[in-house]
Parts: sequence; C-alpha cells; structure tokens
Amino acid sequence: MIRNVSRLVRKTKEKKPHVQKNHDDSKPQDTLHKNYYQNVETFRSVYNNCSDVMFRPFLLFGKTKATIIYIKGLTNIEGIEEFVLSPLMNEPNNVPSSINEFLENKMPVSTVIRVNMLADCIESISSGNPILLIEGESAGFSLGLAKWEKRGIEEPIAEGGIRGSREGFNESLEINTSQLRRIIKSPALKIQSMKIGNYTKTTVAVAYIDGLVDQTLIEEITNRLKKIEIDGILESGYIEEMIEDNPYSPFPQIMSTERPDIACANLLEGRAVIIVEGTPFTLIAPISFFSLIQSHEDYYQRFMVGTFIRWLRFVFLGISLLLPSLYVAILTFHHEAVPTSLLLSISASREAVPFPAIVEALIMEITFEALREAGVRLPKQIGSAVSIVGALVIGQASVQAGLVSAPMVIVVAITGIASFMMPRYVAGIALRMLRFPMILLAGTLGLLGIMMGVIAIVIHLCSLRSFGIPYLSPLAPLKGRELKDVLWRAPWWMMDTRPRLTGESNLYRQAPEQAPNPKRGSETE
Amino acid sequence: MEKGKGRLFMKNILLLILICGVTLIVSGCWDRVEVNDLAIVTAAAIDKKDDNQIELSLQVFIPKALSGGGSEGGGGMSGGGAVTMVASHKGSNISDALSKLQSEFPRRVFWGHCKVFIFGEKLAKAGIQEHLDFLLRHPQPRERAYVYVSEGKAKPILELLAPLERYSAEGLRELSDLHIGMKVTLQDLDEKLIGIVQAAALPIVDIHPPGKGQEKLQGEPYIAGTAVFKKDKMIGNLTEKETRGILWIRNEIEAYTVTFKPGAEKGEISINPIKASVKLVPEIRNKKWIMVVKIDTEGTIIQNGTNLNLSSPKSIKVVEKAFEKEIEKRIELAFQQTQQELKTDILGFGEEFSRKYPDKWKKNKGRWNEIFPEIELETEIKAHIRRQGYITKPGGMPEKEVKEQ
Repeated sequence: MIRNVSRLVRKTKEKKPHVQKNHDDSKPQDTLHKNYYQNVETFRSVYNNCSDVMFRPFLLFGKTKATIIYIKGLTNIEGIEEFVLSPLMNEPNNVPSSINEFLENKMPVSTVIRVNMLADCIESISSGNPILLIEGESAGFSLGLAKWEKRGIEEPIAEGGIRGSREGFNESLEINTSQLRRIIKSPALKIQSMKIGNYTKTTVAVAYIDGLVDQTLIEEITNRLKKIEIDGILESGYIEEMIEDNPYSPFPQIMSTERPDIACANLLEGRAVIIVEGTPFTLIAPISFFSLIQSHEDYYQRFMVGTFIRWLRFVFLGISLLLPSLYVAILTFHHEAVPTSLLLSISASREAVPFPAIVEALIMEITFEALREAGVRLPKQIGSAVSIVGALVIGQASVQAGLVSAPMVIVVAITGIASFMMPRYVAGIALRMLRFPMILLAGTLGLLGIMMGVIAIVIHLCSLRSFGIPYLSPLAPLKGRELKDVLWRAPWWMMDTRPRLTGESNLYRQAPEQAPNPKRGSETE
Repeated sequence: MEKGKGRLFMKNILLLILICGVTLIVSGCWDRVEVNDLAIVTAAAIDKKDDNQIELSLQVFIPKALSGGGSEGGGGMSGGGAVTMVASHKGSNISDALSKLQSEFPRRVFWGHCKVFIFGEKLAKAGIQEHLDFLLRHPQPRERAYVYVSEGKAKPILELLAPLERYSAEGLRELSDLHIGMKVTLQDLDEKLIGIVQAAALPIVDIHPPGKGQEKLQGEPYIAGTAVFKKDKMIGNLTEKETRGILWIRNEIEAYTVTFKPGAEKGEISINPIKASVKLVPEIRNKKWIMVVKIDTEGTIIQNGTNLNLSSPKSIKVVEKAFEKEIEKRIELAFQQTQQELKTDILGFGEEFSRKYPDKWKKNKGRWNEIFPEIELETEIKAHIRRQGYITKPGGMPEKEVKEQ
C-alpha cells in the first residue's frame, strides 16, 4: 500500500510543468542609437499602448530637437516645467557649446545622469525619473524629478503599544530607509539595494551596521536574495518564504516588523534588516524563537515590569498551545486527575452535551478561528457585528441550547486570549495551528499523546535554524549569560553585551558598571 | 538537487500524515470514556449480611441534579435536592457485588473520586482484610481516601442528605480534614496493619439525628470516637474524650479546645493549643519498659470564665499548670483505656521501642502483646500560654472583682 501511495505522490510531482526560466521580453540589452529619431521610435514602440507615458518633444534652445519622456503621476510635472523646460526652451544669447556640460553644470535639478543603455533608461522612466533625449546625443539624460503620492508616516497598526515611538514604516522604501537613518545617524549604517521581480522590479534593500554584523551573514542574505527569480514581489512575505532556512515549518524563521525602533534595535544587535518596497513590513534575520515572544515595550518599561510580562507570556504560550488538549485529555482519559468538586461541576455541565469532548473542542476552536479570521478581514464597521454575533452565538446561545458545555467556552476563550498575548502575530498563529493536532492527539492518546506532541514540537524547534543560528538559542545550546535577555529582561545598565551569536564581532555595547548609584544628600555635604 | 530533496521531504511528510491519520481512525480511541458515561462514586459502604454475604453500597453522583439550567430550561430541579443516589447490591465479596451492581447500572462505576470508605461495624468485627485487598489492588480507588467504621450499619450514612455539603461523604471528608477526630487513609491503614504491631485505629462515624423541622434524611454524619483494630478485626472502641488523649500522644491534635478548671478558682478556662510538639522517648530501666511522653505545647486563651487577671505572669503560671494537668489527665485516660481495656498498641509504642532498642525488640517481639499492658507511662508536659486574645482582664467584669494574683 505504501508503495502505491508513494508512486501516486511521485506521479503527481512529475506532472508539474517545468518552471520557465528567464523569459523577460521587456529587457532589451541594447545601447541607445546615435540617431535621435530612431531612439524616440524605440521608446514609442517600447511604450506602445501605455497611455500614462508621456512624450514631450520640444526645441532645445530654439533649434535642437529634444524629447522628454516621463510617466504621469510618477513625475514632478511642475518641476519639469520650471527646472527643465523653461531653462532649456529659452533662447539664450550665447548657446552653450556642449549640451552635456550645460546639463551637468547649469540645470537646477539635483541629479542628472547620463544613461547609455536602453534598459537603464526604461528603469529610470519606470521609477519616475524622466529621460531627456537630445538630437545628436547617443545617450539619454535621467533627471531626478520622481515624485508620486505616498502615504504619510502613520502609527503602526499591527504593533501598537503604550510607550515608544508612534512612527511606523510605510510602503515607500525611501521613507523607510530614511526612518532608519534618522535613528541611526552613523555612516556605519549601510543599505544595499537590489531589484527583484521580472515585472515589478521591486527594490529590496538590506540594511546592516558595518562593524556589528557578521559579514558572512550579509553575503548569505544577498546570495539568497539574488537567487530569487520571480514575476513580482508584492509583499515581504514573498521574500521571507524564498530565503528562509526550513520552508516546511509552521514557525517563522524571519521576523517581520513595521516599527523602525524594532528594526534599529535589531540592527544594533548585529542583525540585518531587509526592507522591501511596497510594504511597511520589513524583515529581520536571523532571529530566535524568543525574539517572537518579546515585545519592544519590554525594553521601554521598567525592567521588573518587562520581566513580569515576559513570564506571563511564557505561561500563556503554554496555555495557548496546550489548554484545550489538556482539557480534552483529562475529560476523556484521566478523570481522576482533577479535583473532585471540579469534576462534578464539569460533569454536571456536560450532562446535556451530545458530543464527545474532542468533537466539542474541535467545533469550538474552529468556530473561534473562523470568527477571528472574519473579524480581521471585515471592514471595521461590520467587525463589531461579528464580535457580537460571536459572543452571543458561541458564548451564550450554544451553552443554553446544550450544544456546548460552559467550561469548554471558558477554555476556548482563555486559549484565544492566550494566543493574542504573543506580540508577534505570526508566532501566535503558528501555535494556534498546532493546537488542532494536539487536540486530536489528546483525544486519541490522552496525556501520553500530548507529551508526544510536545516532544515532537520541541525536537522540531531544536532542529530549526535561522540563517544558521539555532532557533532556540540561547536556551539550546545553553548560554547562561545570554539568558539575561530571554528568561528575564535585565536592566539596561546590565546589558553590557550583545547576543553572542549575532553580535560576536563587536561584543560590548556599552561601558560596564553603569548602574546608577547617586550619592545621598547627606554624603555630598 | 535541492528541489529533489524538498520533494522527497514532502513525500515523506505526506506519508507520515497519512499513516498517522489512518492509525487514529482505524484504532479508534479504545480507552476513551466520556464523563457523561461515568457513575462517579463519591463514597462506598460495605456491610455484612447474615448469610455470609456482604452488601456493597455506593453513593453515586447525579450530574443532572447539579446542571440547573441545562437544555430543558431548568424545569423540575428541586432546589437543594439530592445530588447523589445510593445503589447497593449483595455479593460474596466486593468485586462480586460490584459486578452485579454494574449489570443493573447504566453508567460505568468510577472509583477515582471515591474519598470515603465506610465499613459497617459488624463487618469490621468480622475482619476487613479481604475487602482491603480489593480496594488496594484496584487501580482506581485512591490510597489517600479516608476510611471509617460506622456505628451500626454503614449504608444509612450514605443515604443522608447533608444540609450543608453537597453530599454526606463530602461532609465526612471535610470533618476528617479538620482533624478533630482520627484521620486515617487507606494507605495509613494498610501500613498499620502490616506494621510491626499490627494494630490500627479508625474513626467511628455516627449519625447526628435531624433537628426539628428538618426532613427525615437530613442528618449529619459525625465522628463519634475511635474503633480499635487488632490485626484486621475490630475489638473495641474509644470514646470521643479518650480519642483526644490518643491524638495528643500521636501528635495529631489540631483544632480542639481544652476546657478545664484552673486550680482552686471558680469557673473554667478554655484554651486552644496552637502548636504542640510531642516526643515519645522509650526507655528500658531495670527490665521495666517505660514510655516517656514529652509534650511542649503553646496555647491561646479563647475564653476566661474565672476572675483571674491573665495579664499578670503569676496567674498565667497557675493557668499553665492547670493546662498541663489537664493534658496529662487526658493522656492517662486514653492510655489506660488502650492498655488495660483493649490491650492493643494503637499508639505506636512498639515502633518507638523497636527503633531505640532493636536488639531487645527482636528478642521480645513475640511477647509484645504481654509487654504492652505492663508498660509504664511517664509524662513531661510543658505548657505555655502565649496569647490572651484581645482583652487581658476578664471581659465584662468590674475591676474590683478581678483577682490580681
């Protein structure tokens, strides 16, 4: 039977069509022609049927033919009129001998680049910088006049907080990098960019701090990025899936954030940040599992509060993974493991319930997930309606109708809240997903099954790597002193070292022994 | 190369999921028992019947009775009604009776939460060993369940509808936890019976008859004394007062008020011992076996019916002396009873001697039943009164009448 099954699997695999490699028609490798008319014609044919691309022919200094090509909406049209057309269309008293020189020295435009390749011209036009073609020149001039509508800097929606910066990344790469630069003013902050996506030509930038980061990490990241050949990158999630270490894992091995302060904190610990154009979510690599259950506010609050909240998160991490399965296991196999009066109450409330505990748990958990998902996608106005329906239907009506027992509703509610405790949404959702196999195991094998599941998950976590860094570090392999930022949050004056695995090349981040120890009033006298 | 590896991995994963899924479906969950299918036994009583048979009675929880609202809109639930029922059946032993009982019972009998076992007096006198065997061998009954002997038949105790607790067994268990009487678990009983002196003591349960206006079954079970077992047979009992003395010697006294007359004064004083350390020091002097009971206790005054001013050290001394006397009296009473009347070492003296004098114990092990009635008891009691409560002078008494001593 197994052989047949595997044959089946193999067959379906073989039917998969071969990936077409590099069929990019829009990438002519030619240089520009010497003939002006031919160049214009080439561009016209490239931009055939593109109603948003404008060709504006004019006479340079009243005699030489020239054309400026730009895309409506991506280019600063006032800028073109004021700084390009008006000085160039003037008929000056003494015509400059070299147009090249005039453009470079006398045009009031910040960047003017001479572009020889047709492909580069197209790229320049696509990114909003108009191209100026001039009769007698075998090159175009790219003018830095890109300007398009951008969303302003707003509060990060997915990662709110009480204390800390309220600025979030947005869809524009320039704004994002500028936010990093505004926080880290040192020139050691390096930002390397490349374009990925045959059609979208999305700019992807890798930011890191020279001297803190391990150079091999940057090489590895750029190598993995360079290997990507894809039609388009619409979100950093594409990149994440294409470059992570173990694609078959429910746990994310690259963290995403829309907060510049989180990105910078990670840069300062020797990690790299990958910024992708078109999404506010930047990627951070490498990470460990514990990065996912830490929040930026842990570091902004007093260290005792931060530590307390971290411990709370550990507890609720366990609850969100195990509570429903424990409930099912105890109710189907281990009735003696709960206090008598609790069992009596549970058995009384379950008396009218027609389903076995495992079915009840699955129904409730699936309903909860559906409600959550519905609430996320719906517009805000309808979202509240969903929550009311959810609370009434799964909370009250189902209990009153005797379909579900009240303790089960409590268990599901606590589990739901527990999974929202995870500061990283992706980590919470991974645990929520693993809950279902755990419930099945609990319903069939009891506590034994739960233990098997937990062991399997722990083994899996131990085997994971994020760009070569063990996923459970510094707990496994154990690095005692590194636990200062994992099991608790040490006060800032004690966090003298960076995490060893990412910041080894420059271990000390601050001067030692900075614990505030002011003299008392009487001693100063 | 890499893609091939991934494909293989996917294939393996698919296979694994398939196999796991099939195992789950094919095997089913054969041990699975829903709570709805359980008859949760809260207490069990075993009585002896005439024709060499026993009667097993189980107090079983009725979930329907508690689930007030429920699907039917909560109709017909008598408030404060019975949440348990008693099912009983005769048989030649527990397992026989149980199997017969089960055949008439729609739910599976579940012992896991049975915390009270009551042996009928008749059965206790005939011997409990074979029944203990069932309870200890079966995986479900808890070894930390409490064991009792009933005054008369045991079944009526289960039938009681305790007004205060959910069911009568719960009330009995709470009573034991208060430590007013003897508190013996299944495991303690087993250890005592297989121990070196083979004697055990179990609390006796009696029914406090229902008061006026209460229904017939609304009595409360209470602990009325101690049953003394030699080997596995009950040979006699101790009254409540004698039980206190036993508890003093066994260092199990907890929440019990001692009321006594201090010296020549009028009126009585009540003291609650807060802390007591009891040491049994066995000695063999001139071939005489002597047990020295050293007690160091601290008490708090909870009522002062005399005219003593308890803030003065002198009067405290008087009260302390009287307190010591009272404890001594109780201990001696209990000792007398166990030594002279019952001739059974439920106090654990044998163990103390065997620890201190292992050689002599080995020689005289067989004669312990003869030695025990001749042991002399010496007491060294130190009582301290540490707290007087909120007031120091007798409450509600004019200054003139207070006696400063």
